[in-house]
Order: sequence, then C-alpha cells, then structure tokens
Amino acid sequence: MSESTPTPAFKASHASRMVTLSLHAFTQLVRMKVFYFLAVFAVIVIGSNFFDMAQHQGPESVGANVLRNIKSWSLGAMALFAVVISIVATALLLPRDIEDRTLYTVLAKPVPRIDYLVGRLMGVLLLVFVSLAVMDLLMVAALHLRTGMVMEMQEKMAVGRGWPEEAIQSLKQETLASGVNWQLQAAVLAIFLKVAVMAAICLSVSTFSTSTLFTTVVSFLIFFIGHFQADALDFYLKGVEAGTSTFSQYLALGFSLFIPNFQLFNVVDGLVQNQPITLLMVGKLVMMACYYVLLYTLLAWWIFSDKEV
Amino acid sequence: MANDAPAVEITDLVKEFKTTMRGRPLRAVDQVSLRIMPGEVYGLIGPNGSGKSTTMKALLGLLAPTAGSCKIFGRDSIKVDSRQDVGFLPENPYFYKHLTGGETLRFYGRLCGLGGSVLRERIEVLLELVDLKDARDRRVGGYSKGMLQRIGLAQAMIQHPRLVILDEPTAGVDPVGSREIRDLVLKLRDQGITVFLCSHLLEQVQEVCDRVGIIFAGKLIREGKLEELIAIEDQTEVVIRHADSALVSRIEEIIQSSDGAELVQTGKPRTTLERLFLKEIKRDHQS
Repeated sequence: MSESTPTPAFKASHASRMVTLSLHAFTQLVRMKVFYFLAVFAVIVIGSNFFDMAQHQGPESVGANVLRNIKSWSLGAMALFAVVISIVATALLLPRDIEDRTLYTVLAKPVPRIDYLVGRLMGVLLLVFVSLAVMDLLMVAALHLRTGMVMEMQEKMAVGRGWPEEAIQSLKQETLASGVNWQLQAAVLAIFLKVAVMAAICLSVSTFSTSTLFTTVVSFLIFFIGHFQADALDFYLKGVEAGTSTFSQYLALGFSLFIPNFQLFNVVDGLVQNQPITLLMVGKLVMMACYYVLLYTLLAWWIFSDKEV
Repeated sequence: MANDAPAVEITDLVKEFKTTMRGRPLRAVDQVSLRIMPGEVYGLIGPNGSGKSTTMKALLGLLAPTAGSCKIFGRDSIKVDSRQDVGFLPENPYFYKHLTGGETLRFYGRLCGLGGSVLRERIEVLLELVDLKDARDRRVGGYSKGMLQRIGLAQAMIQHPRLVILDEPTAGVDPVGSREIRDLVLKLRDQGITVFLCSHLLEQVQEVCDRVGIIFAGKLIREGKLEELIAIEDQTEVVIRHADSALVSRIEEIIQSSDGAELVQTGKPRTTLERLFLKEIKRDHQS
C-alpha cells in the first residue's frame, strides 16, 4: 500500500486525446450491443435472394431481378441502419454523460472541449464505418455468390437455345458488370458521407439539448427537412429572376447553405438502375460532407465551449 | 509558475444562476475568497445547497464565475492546462459502467497523456492503494458505493496531481469504506499533496483537515485553522487513566481552593459510535 512520490506532469496531444475519446465512445457503443442489428441485416440480404419475379423471357433476364434486389435491399438497409445508428448513438453520448455526471470527470482532466466533441464524433463515425464495412462485406459476398449462380443459369439456358459463343460471353460480361463492382463501394461511401453529416448535426443539437429523446427527434426532423433543401435553393434562384422579396431570398439562401441537401447523397436508386457514379460526383459529395461536418462541429464547439455542466 | 504560489486561490468568487425568464438570478456563491497553500488539507463545510459544490465546479472551470477569479497553482482555472495538476472526485461519482476498474484508470490516464509501461505501473500502484486489485477486471457498473468512491479517488490521482479536490468523498459510504477514504486522504497529505474537500459530515472533516472554511447561503462565514476554531480558549482538559475516587476528590479540592478556577465537568470520556462499530467488526473479523 505504498504510493510513489509525485512525478512531473504529463501532457497529451490533441490527437491522442481525441483518439482515446473516440475509442472509448466506440467501445461504449459496442458494449451496448448495437451490432445486434447486423443479424437483421443478414436476414434482409438472405431474404432478398428469394424475391425473383417470374418475368424472364430469355437468358438475359434470368436472375437479373435477384441481383437488383440484393443491391437495392442491401444498400437501402445499409442507409437506413447507418442513419439510425448515427443519430441514436450521437444523441446518446453527450446527454448521457451529463445525466450520469461522467462529463465532470472527463472535463476535470486537461481535456479541451473541442477534443471531447471531436473524439465523441469520431467514435460514432468509427462505429458507423465498421458497421457499413461488415454490411458491405455481407452484401458483396451474397452478390458474388448469386452472380455466379445467375451466370451459370444464363449460360445453360443460352446454350440450350443455341446462342453463339460471342453472345454468351457478352451476356456473361453484362451480368458480371451488374454484380460486384466499384460503383457499389462508391454508393457505400455516399451513405457514409451522408451519415457523417447527420452525426455532426446531431452532435451540435445535443450540445444545447437536455435529453436524448429531444436530440433524436430534432435530428430526424433535420434529416427529413434536408431532403427538401433543393426546393429552397430552387426558390432562391428562381426568386432572383422573378423578383421575390430580398428577405425571402436570403432566407432561402441561408436555409440552403445551413441545411445539407441529402438528396444529393441518394445515389443508390440510380446505381440499382445501372446509372454510373462518376468520380466527379464522389468528389463533390466528399467536399460537401467535409463542409457540413466542419460547419456543424464548429457550431457544436461554439455552443459547448460556454456550456455550464 | 512559482512553486510558492497557493495551490488554490479563490478571489471574490460570485456565481449566479438564471432562474425564470424575468426572475432575479439565484446567487449560489457570494464573494467567496480563500487560499489553500501547498500540502494543506482544507475542508469546506456547510449544509446542502450552501454553495460548496458550485465553488468546486467554478474552481475546476466546469462553471464560469459571474465575478471574481479562481487560480490553481497561480494559473487561471478557466484555462485547460491548469487541470493538469488537479485530480477531481465528484459527488456520487458515476463512471462509465461499461468499463472495468482497470480500463477506467487506463482511459483517464490516457486523457492525461500517460501511456505504455508508465501508465501500466501507475494503474497497478493505484489499484493497490485503493485496495481494488481483485476487482480490476470487474465492470464498474457492478461496484458498490464504497468501491466507486475508491476507484474515483484512484482516477483523480492518475496523473500525479499536486491538488486533489474531493466533493463529498464519503457520502453514502458505510463506516468501513468511509474510514478507508479518510485514511487515503491522510496518505495524500503525508505525500505533500494538497487536498481540498467539501462535506457536510463535520466529524470526518475534523479528523483530516488542517484548515476549515464554513460556507452558508453562498457566503464564507468563518475560516481558519481547525485547532484554533474548535478550541475553547478558557478551558483545559486533563484525561487521567486509572484514577480512583480519592484522587478525583483531591483534584477537585485543589481546583476549588484555586483563585478563579472552576470545575466545569468530570466524568468518563466516551468513544464515538463509529469507533465502537469499527472495533467490533474488526474483532469479529479476526475471530
């Protein structure tokens, strides 16, 4: 029961504190068993295999619905789960730290408030990233297996119908292209970016909110409003031409700058219909996500820096 | 920063809280000033709601003072760096329930910049100090109140702070746990660590503190060295072992024959209920 003599003080860098806080938030959320939803996702992916509409006329349409369903259902479920996880997890962290008074013990250490906020946000994003990675892996595995099966069926039917070898090879290439490809990964990245923006918004709401429920409800509301952002921007642009009042125009402009246009992140529908996602689109989404994450993190810091806990 | 700077220097601290939209603000701390020198154990006592915890939170930068200033070893306590020298145990600490005792100390240690073998050794030392080595791999959510206070004390000391602030350290803890915490406070004092504690359990404060401040309705109404505050200056206490009634009678006669001296009270000194309790359970434990 002996205690050593006090030694000189230690000092952590901003980065190491943020990493410590993010890993802590990640562990906290994992131990709350949030990954259980992955079982539900697996069921959805497996279930999507059995929805093959009997509408095929020739080898080219055999199994096409199945591949489309797997992509559509999986990406849809990924988008839904990721948004729900990010909002609920972010809404849970800060209000809970205040309610449980664990925040005192953290802020009583030499931890700047910006480190705390960024660390918490990074923890949620790490959780979403790992969740998306696991779901992505499940989707890719299911799609890969099913693509092979579909190609086999198509080949059998095409040979039976006396298709020439070049036509069979061409069909195989076409089916392969609608299977696993990098476009899918771009869609998953778009989902992650959208969710990162949503988590940052939720973080800033949680800095002035008093409860998890309020933060969750307001965040979901902003999420839905974000899907109509394009309309506000349109109103501003048309208003300039039509001579709408300056106040309304600036209100619409402010709204469109402050609330992200979540419709832009919805690339899944286009992808399922085999519309390509270009590098330029991905670049724009990355820039946009960075802008909003930074904006809302700074807003959260501005509110939280003077908050009395 | 100068080494002779006070560990804590609170000057004319005022803290007001907004109430309703148009109502008058509630003044929780009113012109409180106090200085604690390095190595002292200072107790701030007062009833519930008197402003003790608010004073401590302002000192830790968790609340912004309405007026006045707080300094820790000469540095403004609003600045984050000042907390490098401070360990804090809040009232009824609730740590992250999903972490084990060992993980809890590792988390707080890393926040303070400790890592690798230094942190591992520090965790070992502290777990032994607070007698939680056997519970290091148990989740904090399953700890008793006394264990929570002890792991809280360990986390407060993780970065070798020169000042430890304890808010009601023995609140809700049984007499045995309470005694262990008081022993830990005395150990800290022996190591030259400054301790600033607040409590409404007066007897416990009396046992460990060098100086005491009494706060009531937000104002510091009395402050000074404990012995000076509680001593009755015009009385003298003599305690005699194995005195028979004849000896007591002779002493009483001497006092009566002395000019100006007056016998106030004779009788047997009493132990406290707490000491009796601790003695009995120790005896039971040994048998």
